[in-house]
Amino acid sequence: MKLDPITLEILGNKLTAIAEEMCLTLQRTGRTLYVKETADFCCALVGLDGRFFAYPRALGVSGFVGLDCTATLAAARERYGDLEPGDVILTNDPARSGGLATHLPDLHILEPFFHDGEIVAYGWGFLHASDVGGKVPSSISPTNHEIYQEGLQIPPVKIMRAGELNEDVAALLRANSRTPEANMGDLRAMIGAVGTGRERLRQTIAQHGVAALLDVQRDLVEYAARRGSAVLAKVPEGTYRFSDFLDDEAGSGAPVRIALAVTLADGRIHLDFTGSDPQVAAAINIPSHGRPHAWLTLRVLALMVTLDPGIPINGGLLAPIDVTAPKGSLVNPLPNAAVGVRHAAAVRVNDALNGVLGQALPETMPAASGGTIIPVVIAEPARHGGGQNVQVVEPMVGGTGGRAGFDGADGRDSSISNLSNNPVETVEAETELEIVRYGLREDSAGPGQWRGGSGQMLRFRIRGAQGHVLARGMERLTFRPWGSQGGGAGEPARLELHRAGEAPRSLGKIDMLAVAENDEIALYTPGGGGWGHPFDREPEAVLADVRRGLVSRDAARRDYGVAVIADASGRASVDDAETEALRRDRPTPSALGTERERWDAVFSPARLDRLHHALFALPAVQRRTSRQAVLDAALAELPSAFPREGAIDDALAHAASRFDAALISLEATLANPAADLGDLSTSTRSS
Amino acid sequence: MAPSDMAQNDNNFRVGIDVGGTFTDFVLFDPSGRQAPIFHKEPSTPADPAQAVGNGLARLIAEQALPPSAIAAIQHGTTIGLNAIIQRRGARVGLIVSEGFRDILEIGRARMPSSFDFHATRETPLIPRENVLEIGARFDRDGAITRWPDAAEIERVAADLAALDVDAAVLMLINGYLQPEQETELAAALARHGSTISVLSAAQTWPEIREYERTMAAVLNAYIQPLMDRYFARLTELIGELGIDAPLLVTTSNGGSMSLATALARPIDTVLSGPASGVVAAIRLGNEADVSRLVTFDMGGTSSDIAVSQARAPEMVTRTEIGGMPLVVPVVGVSAIGAGGGSKVWVDELGVLKVGPESAGADPGPIAYGRGGTEPTVTDCYLTLGVLDAEVFAGGTMTLDTRDVSQALEAVAARLAMSGEDAGVRAAAGALEIATAQMAAELRKGLAQRGLDPADFTLVPFGGAGPTHANWLAAEAGLPRVMVPLQPGTFCALGAATADLRRDFVRSLRVTLDDEAAGEITNRWATMIDEARDWLADQGFESADGDDVQLLPALDMRYAGQAYELNVAFAADRLAELDAATLREAFHREHELHYGFRDEGFRDEGFGNDEGRDQPTPIEVSTIRLAVVGRLVDATSPSRFAGEGVTPRTHRRLFLHGEWHEAAIYARAELGANDRFAGPAIVEQDDTTVVILPGWHARVDALGNLHLAADADESFADEEPRA
Repeated sequence: MKLDPITLEILGNKLTAIAEEMCLTLQRTGRTLYVKETADFCCALVGLDGRFFAYPRALGVSGFVGLDCTATLAAARERYGDLEPGDVILTNDPARSGGLATHLPDLHILEPFFHDGEIVAYGWGFLHASDVGGKVPSSISPTNHEIYQEGLQIPPVKIMRAGELNEDVAALLRANSRTPEANMGDLRAMIGAVGTGRERLRQTIAQHGVAALLDVQRDLVEYAARRGSAVLAKVPEGTYRFSDFLDDEAGSGAPVRIALAVTLADGRIHLDFTGSDPQVAAAINIPSHGRPHAWLTLRVLALMVTLDPGIPINGGLLAPIDVTAPKGSLVNPLPNAAVGVRHAAAVRVNDALNGVLGQALPETMPAASGGTIIPVVIAEPARHGGGQNVQVVEPMVGGTGGRAGFDGADGRDSSISNLSNNPVETVEAETELEIVRYGLREDSAGPGQWRGGSGQMLRFRIRGAQGHVLARGMERLTFRPWGSQGGGAGEPARLELHRAGEAPRSLGKIDMLAVAENDEIALYTPGGGGWGHPFDREPEAVLADVRRGLVSRDAARRDYGVAVIADASGRASVDDAETEALRRDRPTPSALGTERERWDAVFSPARLDRLHHALFALPAVQRRTSRQAVLDAALAELPSAFPREGAIDDALAHAASRFDAALISLEATLANPAADLGDLSTSTRSS
Repeated sequence: MAPSDMAQNDNNFRVGIDVGGTFTDFVLFDPSGRQAPIFHKEPSTPADPAQAVGNGLARLIAEQALPPSAIAAIQHGTTIGLNAIIQRRGARVGLIVSEGFRDILEIGRARMPSSFDFHATRETPLIPRENVLEIGARFDRDGAITRWPDAAEIERVAADLAALDVDAAVLMLINGYLQPEQETELAAALARHGSTISVLSAAQTWPEIREYERTMAAVLNAYIQPLMDRYFARLTELIGELGIDAPLLVTTSNGGSMSLATALARPIDTVLSGPASGVVAAIRLGNEADVSRLVTFDMGGTSSDIAVSQARAPEMVTRTEIGGMPLVVPVVGVSAIGAGGGSKVWVDELGVLKVGPESAGADPGPIAYGRGGTEPTVTDCYLTLGVLDAEVFAGGTMTLDTRDVSQALEAVAARLAMSGEDAGVRAAAGALEIATAQMAAELRKGLAQRGLDPADFTLVPFGGAGPTHANWLAAEAGLPRVMVPLQPGTFCALGAATADLRRDFVRSLRVTLDDEAAGEITNRWATMIDEARDWLADQGFESADGDDVQLLPALDMRYAGQAYELNVAFAADRLAELDAATLREAFHREHELHYGFRDEGFRDEGFGNDEGRDQPTPIEVSTIRLAVVGRLVDATSPSRFAGEGVTPRTHRRLFLHGEWHEAAIYARAELGANDRFAGPAIVEQDDTTVVILPGWHARVDALGNLHLAADADESFADEEPRA
């Protein structure tokens, strides 16, 4: 590092504060709820190398510190040549920004900051705009299957030219949004916020000199990189593997696999996503461009911050990370892929990273958390006048996973986003709903020496004549949050419709559900996975959970081998003798959940690895259908609800051999490209 | 001045008391302004905090030879409630909630403390789940009962409550904020059956929408009540023994105070009173010295706090946190900005110099205190630079240890690979620069958040180290002026002595603003004003004229669809004239002020859909607020004798801006009105040390405040002291 250790610390503080001031300015002057209240925005300072050297510590979207501006700056330079003072580049295009933007509502801007005619840094801002056109209001729908349905794509272009608004671009933007005024208001606020950064940086240069600014860009990034690397050096070297699944492709199709092989050596980490499924025809692809991208590395950064809480937050954290992500896969899709709900897949990438790191650091990493974020939305006729009243009822999450020494947090999960819930009273004031129950879900936590956090449950009644309930992002209905180090899996998510005169119905995933007066909807989110064998849990801790009502006596006996009885005063207490007897046998709980075990019995990691090898030899357009064909060949032998419903061993074996046969014939077509794939694709899943 | 002079005064002294961890501060205040305030510090007695208060009071009246009857009022700030919450030492409280909402405290607002750090743990709920009961009672969003328990259910729940091992209980019904009276009745019915356990209605405590926050207000109230009861019973006894029968007032988090009786019923209103008193005292001082826009800067041992005041009034906030739990009663807005005098100076593994966040606290404290501290702190850096005089620290009551300090800082320099002459001193100067950069960053962010320019503000430091660090902070953050009060070390006690009576009232109703709603709002205000005047009368307040009662009505409003409201203030004497149009315009204006735009409504751009043309965006009113202030003292600070051109008491070597200076050392007690001198200089006083940087100069005003400004500030030189 070039600077002395005092100046480095002083400038580090000042520059981070500039980034934070930019954020506060944007939040104050921004136009929409996304900016003001959801805080779906951020600002930072970018070095000449295109990486963030100063990033806010606790404002806006922290996870985007892993983004990279290099490709956007290169694209702008290619289009325009040298940039001028007062130019501002705008883009929302995941492909042409090289993954700086990761879905279309995110508007990103970059402004070159000049000193004596030379660019010395860039200011960056992004915000989630209300609407950029596309098929649905707010531009995001999980069922979009190509990016053209998701709205207007803006390659890196100048929204400001030498300090003047580029009216041509602005007119195009306005014409392609359902909320043109709100968008322009937000955009203006963001340009102003980055301008604040320019002014503050100018003052810093006046105080410390331009040489110090150029040095500190490199030093801060190097400093963060070295501390990040020091954290990774504490992880035992080796290669670790893990895979996890999304239930399906945002509500349809077969389970989607995320496979990871992680190698740690010399203070570096390599994430290899080979074996992950091809990109899907739903809006959950992650446009990473195969680089150590924010959405693929979040858990690694979280590990660095967790083990070194004072670590500087900047692009240097990415330096010790390498990524291999096959082109055309879910985690590195081709430019046409729909990406609107890419965070849904990122949740599972995070779980997979958590799982793989847990093998290396069993005492540090928790078991899986709930693994789903479900904003439950009611759309109903507006109370006054025409139109629709669309409100988020609650953003539902599960519990966090247990870890050595600590139970998971009940009813909370910050692993991807950390949103506040809504007061029941404001929901009732603003909708025609009555919230009947909102609380923790009993007996949902994965059992363990340190149990998972309980999931949540929400039950509400429709008081209006009609409406629609949306629960997009529902996940972990099939594959449970897994346990770790002998701990069991949490309960999966569930959604029920209670209609007068009918038996309660479990509905599975819903996109838009029509509801009628007095219908009740009950949603249960997953509990976090447990850590360590549940029979090693202190009986007193199990008793405390029984007293608190989070674990039933039956579950205490079954999952923990603890007999809870009523003592003479009627209070719950532990029967020591019976507990000792119960605990003599130590059955191993299912760490991944029975559904995943059933799935693996047919679709073993080895089979899927081999399938992926074959698929990625095919042209990208054929991969998805070919994959579905091979899976369908096996699924045809299995119950329609597999793997939620089990199958007899014969059926499993039969399905496995059908899989193998289909795979072999796929491999044969690769050897002989002229062969017809028709036979394979005709076998369909029984329903 | 001679004690006898004081005794001849009217029997009208007010005693302000601030109980801290190390010292209990007293100020004897003469509202007539004829006598300068008398300050006293008494070592605190943490095991029995009332004892120090009694001791100090006894000493104060004895030293001033005052008869007990000379004391007109005792105004007291206490952190007992706050400490009980933070240390989890409060009462065992049970909770009864509407059926379906047993987990209200477990889920809270469902956030984790950190998005990145997955080892960060959430707060433990104040009431364990087994002590939460459900009852079949609730209202709908219009306040109509949709479920209500029969006698048998009430009896059953009361029996369950009696079986819990709790001292007190809280009842919270969904939408109860609309029907506090009915909720209170049910609470009383439950208490009747529940033997000795009192049941507090959450809606009665704080009738505002948002069930979790309202529940917490009542739960925290019940949680600290017994401790407050015990403390004040003991204190009343001790005061009685001294023969003082003046009323005891308790300072509150809104910067005011209330009678002991109200404070015992509503201890939740007192928990953040300490910092609030200091801010209010600074604003009062600012008003006298014609400084209307100020930032207070309270630097203590472990951290520093700032507060912003723009319009000669404290800024109130209704979203604070204590120990991870929300507090929604209005409090004076104070935010932490980082380092304190005890913050540790250290070098990380990569050889980078760091200050904080760890602190040596009061025990062992800085190395200089010689109480076993081994790691250098910010205070040790002051000593090394020559800011502090080892011999006369704290008015000569303490001698500082310079040798160990120098060694420790030289070791820091060595770890930074610094060598040569004064390496330890340069390391210390670097550490202070870092601390300053951190604090200035936080201060600037606080102003940026409000859209304010530091160049418009004066920094008002208090606390032990505030005045020491103020010039550095002001220079770095771009505040052009600093005003150092006469006695910054006991400032919170002064704030207590001069506090007004103040209470905040709230009622939520959730309406879209139209003429009917406007009528309902003004009716509600009228009712609340009656309630507020009754409360003032209950406090024993007799209004001499209308001017000493202030009513501050306000509304929480928002555009439909926004998730958070803006607080809009109105003039109390114009309430009758408020119609929907006026209220709407007031909100538009406030919104424009805060966020830079007004949402007048949707304007269709003419693509064939004319129905939406010029639809005004609905404005919603969620909460009606009213604060009432009863002015207790027309406090005026006594004027200072004009100085005759002060000369330095001595000179001392001071390391600033990378080199040694010969700094003039002044004694605060020797400074008179209109005295002026230039930095580098040090002003020493019993309770603090003031640094004046090179390039800055100082001037004393008629009230004894010390004003600092940069030499380039031309207007400063011409300003005359105001009387």
